[in-house]
Amino acid sequence: MLKQLLKHIAEGGTWTTESLAQALNTTPELVTAMLEDLTRRGYLKAVGDACSGACASCSLAGHCVASNAGRDTSKRAWTLNSQSTL
Amino acid sequence: MTQIPANGRPSTAQARSTMLDMAVRPLTVALAGQPNVGKSTIFNMLTGLNQHVGNWPGKTVEQKTGQYRHNEVLVNLVDLPGTYSLTANSDEERIAREYIIHQQPDVVVAVVNAAVLERSLYLLAELLALPATVVLALNMVDVAVQEGVQIEPHVLEAALGIPVVPMSAAKAQGVRRLAEVVDALAHGQISYQPDVPTIRADHRAILETIQDAIEAHVPHPYHPSWVALKLLEGDNEVTQMMQTHLPPERWQRVHHILRQHEDAILDIAGARYEWIQRMMRAAVVRPRAGQVTVTERLDRIATHPVWGMGVLLIVLGVVFWLTYTLGAPLQEWLDAALIHAAAEWLRTALAGATGWLSSLLVDGVLAGAGLMVTFLPILVIFFTALAILEDTGYMARAAYVMDRFMHVMGLHGKSFLPLCLGFGCNVPAVMGTRIIESRRARLLTIFLAPLVPCTARMSVIAVLAPIFFGAQALLVTWGLLALNLITLAVLGIGMHRFLLKGEQVAFIMELPLYHVPNARTIAISVWQNLVAFLRKAGTVILAMAVVIWALSSFPGPDIAHSVVGYVGQALAPLGRLMGLEWPMIVALLTSFVAKENTIPTLGIIYGTGEHGQALSQVLSGALTPASALALLAVQMLFVPCVGTVAAIRQESGSWRWTALSVGLLLFVSLLVGIVIYQGARLLGWGV
Repeated sequence: MLKQLLKHIAEGGTWTTESLAQALNTTPELVTAMLEDLTRRGYLKAVGDACSGACASCSLAGHCVASNAGRDTSKRAWTLNSQSTL
Repeated sequence: MTQIPANGRPSTAQARSTMLDMAVRPLTVALAGQPNVGKSTIFNMLTGLNQHVGNWPGKTVEQKTGQYRHNEVLVNLVDLPGTYSLTANSDEERIAREYIIHQQPDVVVAVVNAAVLERSLYLLAELLALPATVVLALNMVDVAVQEGVQIEPHVLEAALGIPVVPMSAAKAQGVRRLAEVVDALAHGQISYQPDVPTIRADHRAILETIQDAIEAHVPHPYHPSWVALKLLEGDNEVTQMMQTHLPPERWQRVHHILRQHEDAILDIAGARYEWIQRMMRAAVVRPRAGQVTVTERLDRIATHPVWGMGVLLIVLGVVFWLTYTLGAPLQEWLDAALIHAAAEWLRTALAGATGWLSSLLVDGVLAGAGLMVTFLPILVIFFTALAILEDTGYMARAAYVMDRFMHVMGLHGKSFLPLCLGFGCNVPAVMGTRIIESRRARLLTIFLAPLVPCTARMSVIAVLAPIFFGAQALLVTWGLLALNLITLAVLGIGMHRFLLKGEQVAFIMELPLYHVPNARTIAISVWQNLVAFLRKAGTVILAMAVVIWALSSFPGPDIAHSVVGYVGQALAPLGRLMGLEWPMIVALLTSFVAKENTIPTLGIIYGTGEHGQALSQVLSGALTPASALALLAVQMLFVPCVGTVAAIRQESGSWRWTALSVGLLLFVSLLVGIVIYQGARLLGWGV
């Protein structure tokens, strides 16, 4: 299941936890749990770490999906880690 | 598929046989669980003041132990560190699993959060592979009920094959029952036949081969089946341990097998998630009515590849329409009523003072930085609209749709994430390119970032477009936005087609549920944004207004014979190609410090308040539609602000790249300005 999830992600493009859940015939909650697991294992990385601090002058910082990743649990985003291989 | 045997775990029969012995000696119980599942609350409820806090031997991780009595039996309770798994990725995970393996507690209580059971059960899957007797403490059931999650504890108990205790430790519910179940389980009074996660058939044989190879060499108290599983999972600590304990020849054979099956790690973990899915399907019903259904229904349109883009365009259109319709008249009124009145008052009050002081305060500070205050209505509407969109949950959908759109345009890869940030501010957009590993891709994305229209540029357009174009301002704004995005897309497509071929990177987002917006949240958001704007107006823009006033006043006697006048007149031939008088060129140049400076500069040069005219009235008569269009287009594409240029220098590490980026944008913006002006003149808009 984890491998299938990574294969879908590796195809590229933009995914939501709902669209991934649909592709895997499971629930978005389980997909989120697997995404967190893949992040801990280094296959994915949470988006937003790179821009912390840089957003201080941005008037949209509070509304930004990416910059809130990891801070606001209702708004999280991930991307594939370039080191990860299947 | 086969079960990984939970060897070492006492069977029900064995447990019953030791029942009498257990009745007299104290029990040892360990609390395991992820962080923030209420483990400490349960620990405190059970032990009260009978607890001791220290550190785990040789570690800086906190160790909490305590005691309680149940049915006259003393229970030593150990609070294990919070962990997500038992894979030796951290000190906490090592401590937790080593404690269970070496100390062999009578019972391990796996504490899980009932509201997010999917995330909590992975640890249970790992615990069941250890030689431990486990009871599931299904904590936070009250939170789960509030969120509409229905869990059938008896069904879950039957599916897992272990005792399940529903509880809400924060409300002291279920704690006594947990103590009873722990006691009964330790004394063999409860059936214990756990359903342990299985692994795929193709790896099962490998697992057995590894287990056979290591069986005779696994040190006590580790169990060969668990060690074999961890080896196949690539667990560093277990790998090192077995490398030490196995004869070199045997290790080489095992190592060779492991290298051939490096992908097993995902299959083993994946099997645990399949097991979790099975348990969830058996015992948990998530809400399918109400909020979720509304979210799903709305998302069918809002995240649709075509309709989603349409919705985004309409939403942005409404935001700009509201801003122009409500904000622009208020801005004009404030300009006339506040700035003009204040200017008149200051002139009268300072009639006896030196001429330059009156000029500095009226023509510099008030006409420049003071003018910015009149933008407040526009910004209040703009930020309120954004805050409402955010609080309803739509902003995440907008980002999702834009991201997909940029994929369609050919802007594949990680470059579009920083570019999306550019809509807020170009500085984090440039800084955000750090997520791109390839230096070439990073530099090219840095190159594109300033082409994304930031809020500062958009607020200048929000003020100037209605002044120049009145009712047509919305259409003009759309056109300007499209111009920037088309320029960006053309460069982006070219860049990715010829320079970054085939780079495909995924982007995954969690979309929040739609909510009715909360007035307090919106008010706080608008307030914070306004304070940030006023801080900027009171510092950078005020300082710049004073500098522009000084440069436009000296040596004098009028602006035409000032430093600004000389610079502007030197650039006048360039301005004429775009139908722009020299003050407009000067206004564009000052936007290099901060994009918003264009407006105070125009205010200072055109002298707000003179002849009773507001800046909007002065400006609307100063430019033809063709010239105004050229001015706004150049403003949108012009050299980025000094903050962005500094970020480009920092991120590219090269002055040459920084100069090239600034030079290219200067060239592109002026070229587009000239083309637009000349084209508009041909269409007859030059009058």
